[in-house]
Amino acid sequence: MSTASLQLIEAAGRNQWLAIAPELMLALIALMLLALELILPKEQRAFIPGIAIVSQVAVLIGLIINFNSPYINAGPTFNGLLLHTAGGQFLRAFFLLASILVCVLATVSLPRQRMPHVEFYHIILVVTAGMMLLAQANHFVMLFVALETVTVGLYILVSYYRDNPLTLEAGLKYLIMGALSSGILLFGITLLYGAAGASPDADGVLHTGFEYQTLTRFLASHPNNFLASAGIVLVLSGVAFKIGAFPFQIWVPDVYQGAPTPVTAFLAVSSKAVGFAVLIPLCLEVFRPYASLVVPVLSVMAGATILFGNLAALTQNNVKRLIALSGVAHAGYLLLGVIAAFQEPQAVGAVYFYLFAYLLASFAVFGVMTQLGGADDTKQELDQYAELARERPFLGAVLAIGLGSLAGIPPLAGFMGKLLIFVSAFKAGLYPLLLIAITGVVISIYYYFGWIKAAFFPAWRLPSAEGAPAPAPRAPVHRGLGLALGLLALGSVVLGFYQGELGRWLLGL
Amino acid sequence: MPHVLFYFFSFLTVATAVGVVVNKNAVNAALCLLLSLVGVAGLFALLDAYLLAALLVLVYAGAVVALFLFIVMLLDTQGGTRKPFKRLTAVASTVGLALLVTGLATLVSRTQFATVAVPTAAGQAPVGAVLKHYAEMLFTTYLLPVQVVGFLLLIAMLGVIVLSRKHAVPEETK
Repeated sequence: MSTASLQLIEAAGRNQWLAIAPELMLALIALMLLALELILPKEQRAFIPGIAIVSQVAVLIGLIINFNSPYINAGPTFNGLLLHTAGGQFLRAFFLLASILVCVLATVSLPRQRMPHVEFYHIILVVTAGMMLLAQANHFVMLFVALETVTVGLYILVSYYRDNPLTLEAGLKYLIMGALSSGILLFGITLLYGAAGASPDADGVLHTGFEYQTLTRFLASHPNNFLASAGIVLVLSGVAFKIGAFPFQIWVPDVYQGAPTPVTAFLAVSSKAVGFAVLIPLCLEVFRPYASLVVPVLSVMAGATILFGNLAALTQNNVKRLIALSGVAHAGYLLLGVIAAFQEPQAVGAVYFYLFAYLLASFAVFGVMTQLGGADDTKQELDQYAELARERPFLGAVLAIGLGSLAGIPPLAGFMGKLLIFVSAFKAGLYPLLLIAITGVVISIYYYFGWIKAAFFPAWRLPSAEGAPAPAPRAPVHRGLGLALGLLALGSVVLGFYQGELGRWLLGL
Repeated sequence: MPHVLFYFFSFLTVATAVGVVVNKNAVNAALCLLLSLVGVAGLFALLDAYLLAALLVLVYAGAVVALFLFIVMLLDTQGGTRKPFKRLTAVASTVGLALLVTGLATLVSRTQFATVAVPTAAGQAPVGAVLKHYAEMLFTTYLLPVQVVGFLLLIAMLGVIVLSRKHAVPEETK
């Protein structure tokens, strides 16, 4: 056999599929859902969402049991496309948990619509598998392909309830802005690839600028390459679109408002975390030799993001727009953590902890929003929350805990997340940014408590005429959603008092 | 000779791309897009990326633009009326143009073209040039991204079906 074909066989052997078993299982479950819809009789198709949730829980349990898999820190797999790290493993579990919760929200929201159900779960599963691959990407080709899978899936999900004109508008805006951001990202990758070029190593294997390690070596040996600087700024801009950071946040409120509520939750939590899953290895490892360029860019972005998000959220009356703009501010706090991590490696763990606390609190709030969304998922004004705590005390309590955690009120998990990030930023000496962030937190308490006030304290209204119809009573909470909401609220409280193993492990990363 | 061809194809690409934006008639714009893509394909051919050139003509010029034309003719769109320029639009365009020119000028003046590495190793053909080499890479080194793209196309297809088909009878009412 010639050496060329031997090389090929060797390359094929480096595709270690076992390393991505959870992603493969998700893909198979997604295909199975479609097959089940074909073969099951109509009356049994109602079980399909349940199957989707239960099988994802099984994958999550399997992932947690095999958390210290032999592939971690054992070098790249798939010919350098993937690199498995402990942080990546945490993010995989994070995306799976978020996906399960989105499916739970969908079981409440989808039956009120006239749209097909199974395809929704299928797309969620495929997108989640793409996100999990992104958390381990070590190569720009892998990064872009996985990111496009995620983005295309989200284009469909955002415009899923197409009877609602707002949803269509959101879908169109997200499509155009998403395509633009992908274009910017791709342009940046191309510039980096062109600047780094390609060189064969001793074995004759060609190394290109697509590979993270090759690019890092190139950047370290060429500290002032203008083409590479332009590429880095473009890549950062492309990622900033995904996390909704300041100059690229323009799509956030409209898209969050128009998208179906479970999809808004998916965008707010998973899509934002995807941005950070990409940003952390890129900034802290690949672009590290260019820290003198990356840190100022990220700092300006973080400060402007925190201020813009909080100030714009002040005047919102629609809860989805409010949570969208406050989500922009949260992206700013997380960026602060990433900047701090240049000097304080612990800050990466703080960012992960913040993301986890944000997941618990956000899904609690989105769960309440889904429950109260009404038949066409459009009842999202603050006025709709009047008398909520008296009529449905459970929902009121969950909402208060979720919002309190998002605002960062002391005994809750969100407070610990903010504290960890701010302490890292303090240690890293980022005093001006820290000042901006604390100002932002103070502003955010105003609008989060405005929402809680709407739900808990009766507002004075014009005495209604005798004949005016009383508002319809709120529907009882679905058992599955109630369980999920209870666990989320409990998680927010417990994680605020006791971070235990999770906190120790994350900060020791 | 290659210089002449490079300038020819570059001019063709840019001039027809401007035509896409400026044309009021959607059919003419789509045809300009076709010519622009042919120009890009010519540039790829000059760079020895024959496979990429062929794919560009087949997929984009052949299939995608044909689809564009089909949809434009199906919808029978009329050329819309142009809105008059507001002062703000004019100012914004000028600022945008100035930024673009500054960016391009910086790029040209500050790029150390001598240090830009040629992305081919000595004795090895570029990946895009030889079809066999390209296919081998797809099925060995890049097998995982190819599989992921398969799923991407699957959900894109599902999305088109879900978002465009007529509503089924709601399941709860039965």
